[in-house]
Amino acid sequence: MSRVIGIDLGTTNSCVAIIENGQPMVIPNSGGYKTTPSMFGISQDGKRLVGHLAKRQAITNARNTISASKRLIGRRFDDPEVQKTIDLSPFEIVRGPNEDPRIKAGGKIFTCPEISGIILREMKRVAEEYLGETVREAVITVPAHFNDTQRQCTKDAGKIAGLDVLRIINEPTAAALAYGMNRAGEEKIAVYDLGGGTFDISILDISDGVVEVLATSGNTFLGGEDFDRRIVQHLVEWFEETEGVDLRGDTMALQRLKDAAEKGKCDLSMREVVEINLPFIASDAEGPRHLNYELTRENLENLVRDVIEGTIKCVEQCCVDADVRPDDIDQIVLVGGQSRMPLVQRRVMEFFGKRPHKGVNPDEVVGLGAAIQAAALLDSENDMLLLDVTPLSLGIGTFGGHFARLIERNTTVPVSKGHVFTTTRDDQSAVKIRVLQGESDIASENDLLGEFVLSGIPSAPKGEPEVEVSFDIDANGIVSVSARDLATGKEQSITVSSTGTLSDTEIDEIIEEHDLYEVQLRT
Amino acid sequence: MKQVENLMGQVFALVPDCDATRLSLTAAEGYLFSRIDGATPWRLLREMGGIPVDEADSCLSRWVEEGWLDIVSEAPSASSPEANAEQTNAEQADEVQAEPPTPEPPQILEIDESQIDERLDFDVSAQRRILEFEATLGLPYSELLDVPRGSEPNVIKRAYFKLSKEFHPDRYFRREIGSHAERLERIFKKILEAYEMLSDPDLCQVENQRTVAPCPEPSPEPTPEAPKPLTKLERLQQRMPFKIDQAVFASRREKAKEIFRAAERSMEAGRLVAAEASIRIAISFDPGRAEFKEALGSLRIRAAGSRATKLLAAPSERMSGGELREALKLLEDVLIYRPHDPELNDRAARVCLQLGEFNLAMGYVETLLERTPDVAAHHTLLGRIYREQNDLAAAVSAFEAALKLDEEDLDARRALASVRIGERNAARGGTA
Repeated sequence: MSRVIGIDLGTTNSCVAIIENGQPMVIPNSGGYKTTPSMFGISQDGKRLVGHLAKRQAITNARNTISASKRLIGRRFDDPEVQKTIDLSPFEIVRGPNEDPRIKAGGKIFTCPEISGIILREMKRVAEEYLGETVREAVITVPAHFNDTQRQCTKDAGKIAGLDVLRIINEPTAAALAYGMNRAGEEKIAVYDLGGGTFDISILDISDGVVEVLATSGNTFLGGEDFDRRIVQHLVEWFEETEGVDLRGDTMALQRLKDAAEKGKCDLSMREVVEINLPFIASDAEGPRHLNYELTRENLENLVRDVIEGTIKCVEQCCVDADVRPDDIDQIVLVGGQSRMPLVQRRVMEFFGKRPHKGVNPDEVVGLGAAIQAAALLDSENDMLLLDVTPLSLGIGTFGGHFARLIERNTTVPVSKGHVFTTTRDDQSAVKIRVLQGESDIASENDLLGEFVLSGIPSAPKGEPEVEVSFDIDANGIVSVSARDLATGKEQSITVSSTGTLSDTEIDEIIEEHDLYEVQLRT
Repeated sequence: MKQVENLMGQVFALVPDCDATRLSLTAAEGYLFSRIDGATPWRLLREMGGIPVDEADSCLSRWVEEGWLDIVSEAPSASSPEANAEQTNAEQADEVQAEPPTPEPPQILEIDESQIDERLDFDVSAQRRILEFEATLGLPYSELLDVPRGSEPNVIKRAYFKLSKEFHPDRYFRREIGSHAERLERIFKKILEAYEMLSDPDLCQVENQRTVAPCPEPSPEPTPEAPKPLTKLERLQQRMPFKIDQAVFASRREKAKEIFRAAERSMEAGRLVAAEASIRIAISFDPGRAEFKEALGSLRIRAAGSRATKLLAAPSERMSGGELREALKLLEDVLIYRPHDPELNDRAARVCLQLGEFNLAMGYVETLLERTPDVAAHHTLLGRIYREQNDLAAAVSAFEAALKLDEEDLDARRALASVRIGERNAARGGTA
């Protein structure tokens, strides 16, 4: 049997892990780094570059270097978050035929699952190089708040990379698995995951190898990159004020600023003050201009304080959902590079009233957890069990545009739930069942997963017929919905096959194209 | 109404030698007609669906008038409980009784040994454990989780985790476990339900009333106190724009049982199609009941099995193209329920080969070789497929593999010889 890997597909960095002799370990890439930048670029001479190679040339080739595509995956082009990204990205984002955002680089248009697929393929290659054998199966992690489409797109990306994706699991859950492995006793833990692009908080119950998710909450569009962006924005404003030069239109300058901001931010976790020094950042009639700025920790904290407060609000919500008081939490696990920031640690500590756990590496723990889940699924010797939950509520649209939840978010799967509904008009002979996913009480604000009609209801005054709607989610997260007229026993049902933004044929075409490309590389 | 009074409480049977092909019926009427088995009472017939009740009545009386149906005035076994129930219910017209069912005494069911399949990638004792546990799913929640009533949340959680480790479907992820896959989902959902109910004090109380005291004294009005925080149940009810009516569920469970009994009678009489339809309806009335789904599954397997025997009896060599296609379709149907049956796969591969569907044939042979790589005939079959596709090198190596396993496989020997002769002739032709 070939080996199965766990991949943490991050917004900024990705990480691949396996189980070796019963212990999870991260596989370093050929450069010796344990994480690989989630970047893809096409160089001036048409070469395709992934990871560190892509990052290295990002400054000189910003328009053709794609980063943070995870922020776009599975979203619609008109999504405000996509629009926000368009304003901030040095590369061009265009509207795809399926209303999905696509990215232009090197004169070619790429879909988001394709970009993620390229990065996953690189992670697969890193693992294969280390193991000396082909890898076919993987568990991939996504932010807890990803919806069905985003998860499906990530699965499609796996397919494009030539991987059979056993399961998509949540990043904080993976972190909890890694934390909980080989720990005896019972604990309630909170996983605070502030990564490059997303924020997640989960509360879990761990007991002798069983991990139960109690609640999870978060924001798919809040992360370390927002911190960088705040710094860049601040620097641009300051530069305009002092030097009178607007850097906003200069992609190369912006990319240099972003790099410097990221590095400065990381350094400020250890130091009180850093110097941001960018010579020749711009030039005008008066000659070259240099940027030299001293950024203090206090400075930075003031810039991002509201972002951090936003995460604390999510933590509060999560505690309410889990029915847990902050001081009931036994351990706090911090995940994601941004959680290294002293202000983040301080606020989390103040909220829970105890110090966060120090034993895990926030950059690697998610990848390790993915590998553990992969082993737990395939290896009958492995004793870990994850009791996973549905990330979003499921239900149907009812009269007056309301959303009736049948399965609440954070419900353990597999599960079946059913309720009885009735007609709203006299002699109504059919009902339309609209299957929705989301948290809004207003039906139209949630995602439509599918719909069907149950007809042949015998005529009766309104409110009299009884239609039972049942939802069933199996262990693989596949949702099926059925509606049955209790009087006649007549039944209609659908399996909600979540679709990504790409059709199967499109995926096959992409796979074929990339396979051709692989051949080209080696000859 | 007169017409209905005549029909009320009656049981219908087809007249002997009834040739239903001479009737012209709509699909819905045909469905109703197919349900008439000399055992299902009128009230159930008209409620079974597909057709409004008054139309069902008029159909029934028409068929009686036209001489298709006999009225059997009583159900075959007059003393059976459902016949009595039928009469009392008939007096109340079609008003459905809304009493909750009296709780069944906990009883350990015998497990069905035939469900243990040694060919599965699955320990026999684990299979037995699953079947045994499944048989206890009807027990009260606390007995199901094996915790004392009123246990601490921690104790309940530990019991739930322990059972989850044993029965969560992920424990058998992507393993060939046959019908146990459905069984595990059912078991896990039930223990999850038990855990949720027992760990919520309010839900727990409801459950205790259900299982301990069927007719509880109405509890005294609670004295007004400081407002308590909302319980999980209350929060849920507030958010839900509808109410759960337990009485409705109870009456439907009863109905499901009646229909299921009718199905069992059909099954005994060998009317598998009718039995299947009835079981489906029973399931739709009471989807939670494992017994029904179980019956449906074993019925389907039984039907598939009998069809398979018939199919395998007829030699495919003498079939015409159309008959072969038909046979392939039937085989595919049966293979859905018995995907790894070697005989069926072998037959399917041969039929495909005759039809020139080499890719399909290859698929079936691959299944065969995956399961039983040491049967020479399978390798021979593989070789034949390769030969038909003109991949002679692959064919030769398959035949050789067959001979290695069984030196006396004449088929392989002959085929190998003919390939070699063909090659030699081709070589000669080339040089000449």
